[in-house]
Formats: sequence, C-alpha cells, structure tokens
Amino acid sequence: MVAVSFKDVWKDYGSGAVAVKELNMNIKDGEFVSLLGPSGCGKSTSLRMLAGLEHISSGEIIFGDKVVNKLPPKDRDIAMVFENYALYPHKTIYENLANPLRQAKVPADEIKRRVTEAAELLEIEHLLERRPQELSGGQKQRTAIGRAIVRQPQVFLFDEPIAHLDAKLRARMRSELKHLQYKLGVTTVYVTHDQLEALTMADRIAVMNDGVLQQFDTPQQVYENPANSWVATFVGEPGMSLMEMEMTSVEGDMALAFGSETIKLDQKSAARLAAAGKINLLVGVRPDKASVSLEPLPNGIQCEIYSRQLLGADVLVEVEIGKSRVRAKADTSFGGNVGTPCHLNFLSENLYFFDAEDGKVIPQ
Amino acid sequence: MASREIISYDKGVAVKILKWVSPVFLAFYLVWALLPLFIMLMASIKDLLDAFSVPEPGDWAGITMFFDFSPTFTHYIALFTENNFGTYLFNSLVASIGSAIIAVTLGSMCAYSLSRSEFRFKKDLLFWIISTRMAPIVAVIVPLYAIFRSVDLVGTLPGLILAFTTFNLPFAIWMLKGFFDGIPYAIEEAAQVDGQNRFQAFLTILPLAAPGIGAFVILCILFAWNDFLFSTIIGSGGAKTLPAATKELVQPQNIDWGKIMAAGVITTAPMIPLGLLVRRYLVAGLTMGAVKE
Repeated sequence: MVAVSFKDVWKDYGSGAVAVKELNMNIKDGEFVSLLGPSGCGKSTSLRMLAGLEHISSGEIIFGDKVVNKLPPKDRDIAMVFENYALYPHKTIYENLANPLRQAKVPADEIKRRVTEAAELLEIEHLLERRPQELSGGQKQRTAIGRAIVRQPQVFLFDEPIAHLDAKLRARMRSELKHLQYKLGVTTVYVTHDQLEALTMADRIAVMNDGVLQQFDTPQQVYENPANSWVATFVGEPGMSLMEMEMTSVEGDMALAFGSETIKLDQKSAARLAAAGKINLLVGVRPDKASVSLEPLPNGIQCEIYSRQLLGADVLVEVEIGKSRVRAKADTSFGGNVGTPCHLNFLSENLYFFDAEDGKVIPQ
Repeated sequence: MASREIISYDKGVAVKILKWVSPVFLAFYLVWALLPLFIMLMASIKDLLDAFSVPEPGDWAGITMFFDFSPTFTHYIALFTENNFGTYLFNSLVASIGSAIIAVTLGSMCAYSLSRSEFRFKKDLLFWIISTRMAPIVAVIVPLYAIFRSVDLVGTLPGLILAFTTFNLPFAIWMLKGFFDGIPYAIEEAAQVDGQNRFQAFLTILPLAAPGIGAFVILCILFAWNDFLFSTIIGSGGAKTLPAATKELVQPQNIDWGKIMAAGVITTAPMIPLGLLVRRYLVAGLTMGAVKE
C-alpha cells in the first residue's frame, strides 16, 4: 500500500502526437481513484505509464517516496486488470491465478492456499481446472481480477475491466469491486469512460480530456461543482444542457439574455456574475432541475419539443429554443410530443455559469 | 456463429456436369500421384528380374504378373551393409533437425522483436531479410562453396547445418512474425505485470505461436531432408545426406535400380507423416486469431 503521484508527467509519441500533457496528481495511500474521460483522452496511457508498460516522456511518477520511471513493471509491485482480460489462453484458470505467485517464488502450498482463497472470494473455485476459452465474459473478468488480488500488490491498476460485460453483470461487478477494494485497502487507479462507474466507485475522480487533467475531486464535487463546461457536460446522465447567454439588465436588475427571452437572476447568482464581469456566458442546467409544461408558466421560455424519450420512472424531453437544445425531465404523464410548442422553466439558483470563451466555471 | 446449414440453390447445367466430372478428375489425379510411390515400394522389395517383368501392351490379364513375386529385403540390407546408408541417414537426421532447431530458436526471437518494436527502415529490413531467399540456391552455391571452403566447413555436418539455416532463417522470421503479430500485446504485458521480465514474458507467449513454430519446424526439416544441391556440394565428402547418396548409386557402368528404389523408400517414408502433420498445423496456424473471440 503506497501513495502514488504524477509530477509534471508528459507523454508524446513523437510526430507531434501528445497523449498526456503536464499531468499532476497525488493519489493517497489506499485511495480509489478513477481516471474518467472519453476514448483517446490519455487516461489509459497514464495508467500504462504507472504500470511501466509505457515510457514516460518527461516528469516523474512516484510510488511512496521512490521515483519509478526507470523500474520495469515486474519491480513496481503492481497488479493490473486489462480491458480484454489478457488471460494466458494456454494455461488453466488455476495456473493463470498462480502465475504472479510463482514469479514471486512463493512456496507451492502457500500458492495453493492463496489461489483457492481468491477463487472462493470471486466464486470461480469450480472453474480452476478449465481454460479461459471455456469461460464466459464475466468469469474471465473474475479470473483477471483474481490474478490481480492473489498477490496483495502495492497498487491495483484497472483498465476498463468491466466495459465488455452486459449491463446487469456490470452493475453487480461495480459493487463487488468497490467492496473488494475497501476490504483490501489497496491504492487503486481505475480507468473508465463510463461516468456512472466513476461516480459510483471512486473516492476521487480525475476527469481527463485531450490529454489534460480537467478536474480531480470527489464524485460529489465533480458532479455538483464542475470545474469547466466540458466536465459539466461529460459527468451526469442524462447530461447537462448548455445555453449561450449574455449579461444584460432589466429595470436596473442584472439578468440574462437568452435569444429574445430574458431570465431574472437571484441575488446570489447576480452577485457572482457581477464579480466575474463576463458578458458572454455558457449557462448549464441539469435535466432534473429543469421542467417543461404545455401550459404557460410565470417565468417560462417559449420552446418546441425536439424529442421525447422514456427513461422508465420519468420522461426525458429535449426542447429546442432557437439554436439551443435543452433536456428536461418530466412526469410520464407529460402529454407533449415532437413538434408540440411548450414552456421551459428553471430556477436561476440551479444554473451553472461558465465563461463562454474558455469554458471555465465562474467562481462562486 | 455462422450457420452450418448447407443451402442448396438451383444449379445450372455447367454445375451439374462439374459435379460428375470432378470425382473422375480426382480419381485420375490420385492414381497419377500415388502410382509412382506404389511402384517404387513394390520394386524395392522385388529382385531385379521380377522388377523388370512387365506384361505385353494390351494384355490386361497380365497385370497379375506385377504382384507375382516373392518379397525380398536384400536391397535394404545391401544399402546398409555395402553403401553406408546408416551414416547417410544419420547425416540427414542431424542436418535437418539441427538446422530446424537453430532456425526456429533464432527465428522466433528475431520475429518477436520485429513484431513488437517500431523503428525507421523496419520495412526495408524485413524486405532485405526475405530478399536473401529470392535468388535460387544455384546462383549462390559457388561463392558459398568458396567461403565454406576457406573456413574448412565443406564436408562437415556443422557446415551443412549452417548452409540450411542460412536458407531457412529468413523464412522462419517472416512466417513467425505473422504469428507474433496475431498475439495480443496484453498477454505479455500481463506477464510483465505478474513479475516477469521481457524475455520471460516472451517465453510465456511462445506456446501461443506453437502452430506456427510446429509448421515451420516441419517445413524446415522437409527442406533440408529433400535438399540435393547443398548436400552434394557443401556436404560432399564427410556430410552426405540421403538424396546425394542415392544419386551415387547411379554408376556409369551399372544403375542399381533395386537399391535406388529402396533408398527412395527410406528417404520418402519418414516425410509422409510429417507432410500430413504440417497440413494440420498450417491450417490451425492460418486460422488462429483470424476471428475475434
């Protein structure tokens, strides 16, 4: 168990392709950190640099107080679960699990005990004599996790381990992985493109885009106080809608101009926007904080329904206002359909404000 | 999984004719391919008088003459007692298996590194490697003989093994590189994370290239075993193999057909099962990894 830090880490593949830019991150001992981002954002590259499978172009990666840049993977005391499981196809499940222990020169009876223990924990003890190709996706994935946990390493590295499982199994594995990590207390870095996985499992989330770390904070903070408009739209499902607005004033009070409509501001938001002094804003609203109605509302904005999707307990209505589209949740009894005129409403204290130029959040 | 059901569509006349013609063609082909082997086998266990007794043209009933003989192993015994075929058989075995082992060991390591690393001129290097196989052996045998002569390798088994390896190695590298390309990186990365160094990780994934290695070893043995040119020129003197030795049974004053047939059987027999094996390995190797799991 060890703390892990990235210090000014860069990764470029030559020919101008930069995968990771100036990554700085301190992961505490025993913490579960999730690297979240779309594909190609540099999250897997960062993980592979931690594992020692990828050369670090510049900067330092530190385990505890030791710089590991030049250490090969075998000397880093890590365990990794790969996206495609990477089991040894020609070896039995038992041998797959035993391999890390054999490399560590653990005595045979100890290997047997620990493999059996790990297999029982993951409920694969009846599969030990089989080979990987005879196993289902979920079983393979458990084997891959088993191979990681038999050895009690310093750091767990997960590279989208459950991305290929079906939705139901994924939900179950999320809670099992979380439970396992909590029980073992091993520092964990978990790469995923699925914001739900990150939100549900991680102690802290590192959101990455285009090789740049966007925000590194607790799931709640990332969700409630996104650092910029990109994080705001990436995290949360269904995602936040962004609207382009301008600062204006109505009868001496500060307000937002949204197309031909104006939106009045509460005192707190008005003070915040006044302090920032920006004119062009990106204003975000989460679907569950917006409402639509077929009847005119006091502060409603005139709009038209673009699409209507049933989510189960409620309906996601996407409405069109000029060029902008805004998603709002409505009751299943909501009667409107595509093309129906309706009214959108939200409270200004539930809005998120970002600078239209660089997308950064307007400070509180 | 694709459906295994055989769907029959309406067939044209040409297809119907082909359906009847193809078995006939195959039957002829079978006779054409197997008859020489059969005659060789029969002639090797007949004495010379029986071997040369053939019926008159048109006398189909006389075909029984072909089977009317008392089997004898004198030719085989003579080969080993008078003509040193024990030594030649040994030379053949050592040269072919030896060169196969060396070529596959060096070839797999080279193929692995060429598969896994990226560097400038890699394609040119690969092309250069295979280009050494583009010239026919006859074209290089004279300079090769001069070189081998100057380092005293002519007529020795190591010399013959080296010559075979020179010609098998480029082939090994190209063939095995294809197999390594098909093995996902993640498996050896997992091995490294498990605590193995790069070489141990390479050994871990080596069994996954087994179909390729198996096929290559067999092809390599077949090449060396059947080779005539290297064996007569580089091997002449102390390292003659079976084909070269068989050729020497043809003397200006006497062609010893019985012995030649027996030598032919000795040379061919061990390669038939290998030929069947290579077919299985090659098919397994070519389809491996073609369809994603």
